[in-house]
Amino acid sequence: MASILFYILAFVLLAATLLCVTCRNPVHAVIYLVKGFFALALMFYLLGAPLIAAWEVIVYVGAIMVLFLFIIMVLELAPREQPQGPGWKRWVPGLMLAAAVIFCSLLIIFQDPSAASGNPAHFVGPRAFGEALFGRFGLAVEVVSFQLLFAAVGAYYLGRYQPREQDKEETS
Amino acid sequence: MLDNYLPIFTLILIAVCFAIGSTVFSGLIGQKKPSEVKLAPYECGMPLVGTARERFSVKFYIIAMLFIVFDIEVVFMYPWAVMFKRLGMFGFVEMGVFILILLVGYIYVWKKGALEWE
Repeated sequence: MASILFYILAFVLLAATLLCVTCRNPVHAVIYLVKGFFALALMFYLLGAPLIAAWEVIVYVGAIMVLFLFIIMVLELAPREQPQGPGWKRWVPGLMLAAAVIFCSLLIIFQDPSAASGNPAHFVGPRAFGEALFGRFGLAVEVVSFQLLFAAVGAYYLGRYQPREQDKEETS
Repeated sequence: MLDNYLPIFTLILIAVCFAIGSTVFSGLIGQKKPSEVKLAPYECGMPLVGTARERFSVKFYIIAMLFIVFDIEVVFMYPWAVMFKRLGMFGFVEMGVFILILLVGYIYVWKKGALEWE
């Protein structure tokens, strides 16, 4: 049961990623990327890590996806011309992948494969995760905090407003 | 164990049914008198201002990156919150240091004006 789900999700993940890198329209590519993230989240759940699955959705689907969209907006990559051909054809691959992901999550909700496979030892809930993270790996949490500090400062530094050389010469 | 997730599933089901239901019923029951104004794309109720395919300022991207940084900070609070009692004072101080370090970054970008919209 779990292995069947794994193969379905693996197929969805590979198909979504392939469509993502081959898609001409960058906005469509981001949508395929999000579908890949969802499939990956379910895979983490199958591996017995529900918290990582939730993080995958919160951080990757919720936040990283926004970065990709903003890159498209900042670089003006979205196509200007209207798409050609019948509209439903563009919907088919995306809808099929979405249907597969929803089908897999319904299966997981109604009959838990991690319980059925008799492997609850691998299942790490949020409590056990928190205990290990803040107990044994307490120092690592603080290191992550420093990393996030560097990321915040670096994001500001790279994107700060700096007048270009030629502008400086013109004003002076 | 999965009974825990049943409320989320119920909420998703209600949301999907509401979205599909309101679209279908307003299409079936509602009157259709299309005019040019009604068929125009909805943009916060304002008249359309140019095309949507313009270059945006890099400020959006900085805000998004800062959002991710603090999003990840919050994400670390979930496993801490469910173990709050068990971890006790040690966990509290640990989380305090974690937030304090990030607070330095927050104050830095705030003072530098990265959150200002000029």
